[in-house]
Amino acid sequence: MELLISQSINGLSVSAMLFITALGLVIIFGLMDVVNMAHGEFIMIGAYVTYFVTTVFHFPFLVAMLSAFLVTALLGIVIEVTLIKRLYGKVAETLLATFALSIILQQLVRMAFGPEDKFVGLPMEGSFSLQGIVIPHYNVFLIAVALGILAATLALFYKTGFGMQLRAVTKNRSMAQCLGVNTARIDTLTFACGSGLAGLAGALIAPVKSVMPSMGSYYIVDGFLTVVLGGFASIAGTAASSVVISESVTVMAGYISEITAKVLVFLIIIVLIRFKPEGLFTSEKR
Amino acid sequence: MMKEMKNIGWDKYIDVLLFAFLIGFPLVGSLFRVEMMSKCIVYIIFALSLDILWGSAGLMNLGQAMFFGLGGYVLALSYAARDGVPAFMAGFGVTEVPWFMQILQNTPLAVLLGMVVPGVVAGLLGYFIFTSKVKGVFFNIITLSLASLIEMFFNNQQKYTGGANGISGLPPITIGSEPLSITAHYYLMLAVGVLVYLFCRWLTHSRFGMILRSVRDNESRLQFLGFNPAAFKLTIFVISGMIAGLSGMLYIPIHSFISPGNIGVAFSTSVLVWLAVGGRGNLTGAMVGAFLITWMESLLSEQFENVWLLLLGAAMLAVVMFFPKGLVGTLLDWQYNRKIDRQMGLVQTDDSVELRESDFATAKGKV
Repeated sequence: MELLISQSINGLSVSAMLFITALGLVIIFGLMDVVNMAHGEFIMIGAYVTYFVTTVFHFPFLVAMLSAFLVTALLGIVIEVTLIKRLYGKVAETLLATFALSIILQQLVRMAFGPEDKFVGLPMEGSFSLQGIVIPHYNVFLIAVALGILAATLALFYKTGFGMQLRAVTKNRSMAQCLGVNTARIDTLTFACGSGLAGLAGALIAPVKSVMPSMGSYYIVDGFLTVVLGGFASIAGTAASSVVISESVTVMAGYISEITAKVLVFLIIIVLIRFKPEGLFTSEKR
Repeated sequence: MMKEMKNIGWDKYIDVLLFAFLIGFPLVGSLFRVEMMSKCIVYIIFALSLDILWGSAGLMNLGQAMFFGLGGYVLALSYAARDGVPAFMAGFGVTEVPWFMQILQNTPLAVLLGMVVPGVVAGLLGYFIFTSKVKGVFFNIITLSLASLIEMFFNNQQKYTGGANGISGLPPITIGSEPLSITAHYYLMLAVGVLVYLFCRWLTHSRFGMILRSVRDNESRLQFLGFNPAAFKLTIFVISGMIAGLSGMLYIPIHSFISPGNIGVAFSTSVLVWLAVGGRGNLTGAMVGAFLITWMESLLSEQFENVWLLLLGAAMLAVVMFFPKGLVGTLLDWQYNRKIDRQMGLVQTDDSVELRESDFATAKGKV
């Protein structure tokens, strides 16, 4: 019983990381119908930026988070303008191009910084105990950041002019264009935003996992599972499904191996989407 | 008229040329290169398995290697269990051959299962994806996720799969008591390769293949015509999985080693690159892509492994951006357009100009 409780509390911080990982994917796909296969590599680059900012140059962790976001967002702008824009509307080609991009980015990082693991220290040591269950401070920080990002994204979408334009483009691209929305600019900014979120996810993952060139492919699979379950183009669905997936994997992992738990969850998801193709947590159909 | 012109494309000649080269290769190549080339043939078969799926039906499987790996692992486990409990299992305290490996101890049955297991996995996965109403891109990300999970799973189940070390020391094919020579292996692979090629060619040129192409091009119109696209997608997915499983099995006796690297995302990526670079939908592109890239890879990556991966990514990106139909597709297009231009008289020769002037003259005369 105690294992169950401590695992479910652990699961909350895992959910937080998963949510931030998947959010960028969802935002980009929802608007542009582009599945960014290089999303994992953006996470990896964010983690490397964090390594350099904190471990090599000894800046505080918050600076690392900010610079990881900015660096990957800038990279996202460059890639959107040079690559994605030219392949607009061709799903297979965008998949292949971003796939190729992920190979290139991974290999460049491997050649520049070596294949070995890099370590980033925890930005806040210490933990507190609640009825005998030890909770590290960093886990609480993760959950707080995830909630903050959720709130910020919702605010961006529903309270700003940019968000209104973005939602208009998502609903009906050509109509929005007719009404004078600069859709090309919205695309670029959204892609930058999604990439930046991936970088931020990398920064948050870096202190608890090892940082290496191939780490991205590990996280993108989790991101995909979340997206499949939560439905594309729904922020609340992403949040809900990342909690469901992380909780079930983490709780099961207390009893069986983590990989087996993941495989089981995956199989359940495949069966579920047979009956609920639009994702578990989206009610509206477009 | 369109069909006739497509049929006299260069792809057939390239196929014949490629196979003629492969038949003659052992006469000129050293034994080391012949062994390398047999691997190349296995990769060609693997590429064909994806081309009938992606090229014909438009289903881009991002995890095709899972079928290759499943076939390979079935045969590898069968070989490993032939003389009782294999060493990598004994290390984990396994004293008895587990039940699923007792079945595999029967080699002919194992060879059959090496195709049936990937086929069943493809069938189940396909059933749930294709009969559901999920959008096209889900197929891509689900296959990718599954390949990655299977790779992790095989890495994790050290007791039964040898973990990251894989299963090594697998024997070559023996007939009677003598193991086959490298050249005999080579021609065996080539024979299977030709058979698979002929099968794929027959399949893609049959009525079934035509319906597959319409699944790719316009699924809803096909539905209006009374076909059930899901059934066709499911069938081709299973066939493709079985051929990939076959190629995975062929890989075992010449490579004598299999590891999770043969089942996961990286290897799935390779086969995608072969098809993207060679061109898809006409078998030739898949074969040329697989042949050129794996041959170059084995020559180049001996020295520059890092640069090789970078080159591969760059080549893939360049092809997607500038030649979306791949090398062979671009070549065929160019030939086809030239033929059309000539037939329509758009290529200006003296004859055609005269013809037009005389037409004009008669038309004038009538007025």
